[in-house]
Amino acid sequence: MIPCTDFIPAYSELFKYLHARGGAAAVHAFWADLADRFLTNLRDLVAEHGLAGCWHYWSQTLNEEAADFTMTLDDEAGEFHIIMHHCPSKGRLLAEPHLEPYAEYCAHCDVLYRRVLEPLGYTFTLELSRVDEAACALTVRRR
Amino acid sequence: MAKRTMTRAAAENVYLHKDFHGALSAAISYLHQRYGAEAAREYLRRFAAAYYAPLTEAINARGLPALRAHLERIYAIEGQEISMTGTDDELWLDVPRCPAVTHLRARGYPVAALFRETSRTVYQTICDGTPFTVEMLAYDPETGRARFHFARRPA
Repeated sequence: MIPCTDFIPAYSELFKYLHARGGAAAVHAFWADLADRFLTNLRDLVAEHGLAGCWHYWSQTLNEEAADFTMTLDDEAGEFHIIMHHCPSKGRLLAEPHLEPYAEYCAHCDVLYRRVLEPLGYTFTLELSRVDEAACALTVRRR
Repeated sequence: MAKRTMTRAAAENVYLHKDFHGALSAAISYLHQRYGAEAAREYLRRFAAAYYAPLTEAINARGLPALRAHLERIYAIEGQEISMTGTDDELWLDVPRCPAVTHLRARGYPVAALFRETSRTVYQTICDGTPFTVEMLAYDPETGRARFHFARRPA
């Protein structure tokens, strides 16, 4: 068994494997498939609750992943925002001395969440300039 | 609705996001359907060879106690009791139910047809390059109940 606590290295190695087989296009094809078939919980929550669905979704995942974050929902302004002070996924990869993370590892969040949220009427922005420090910022705005 | 803010430090929570099992199952299914069964196994071999390399080194240095410690740790993380018996030369591992499969079933996530390979192929790869082999003697795809026999390779 691969414990869920070892999933992040498995995920990164999966991206490397797909890239070796078919380049970045193969990795992006997988991310699209995962968004369509696996992120149905996020899609359903946002479809039912609007931006509050983002709050429900990330309240669970970020706490279970023991992330270091600040999350804000301003429904009147139509904005949901996460400041990821320390991402548990990228942080885990950076902490493994014998593993080289997939170079575009953090791009999976951009592809997956954008693919779910934009068709529902939101804009999605992911600020990735500090991913080498396992930090990023995510914004979802109602269009 | 008023503005809501949540701030958490990593130390405030335990790292245990079991839905990752669902993403892994989806990944195994994707590889199987898109590239074939051998691709799913090849990926798991590459992952295990890279990530569990320190464990393989530990088995070479300390023998089966290193493997026992790993198995005790990973199943304890998932809250699953297991049974292990054996000697310095062999180890029998009985898993009454796989916590990953249990979570997938409970949440209604699809269980990949090759999900057993996340144990079988991974354990085989961990043992590659050590004096030990492993055989999956039984596996129930419904629950993930399984029996493994690790044994010293014949001289």
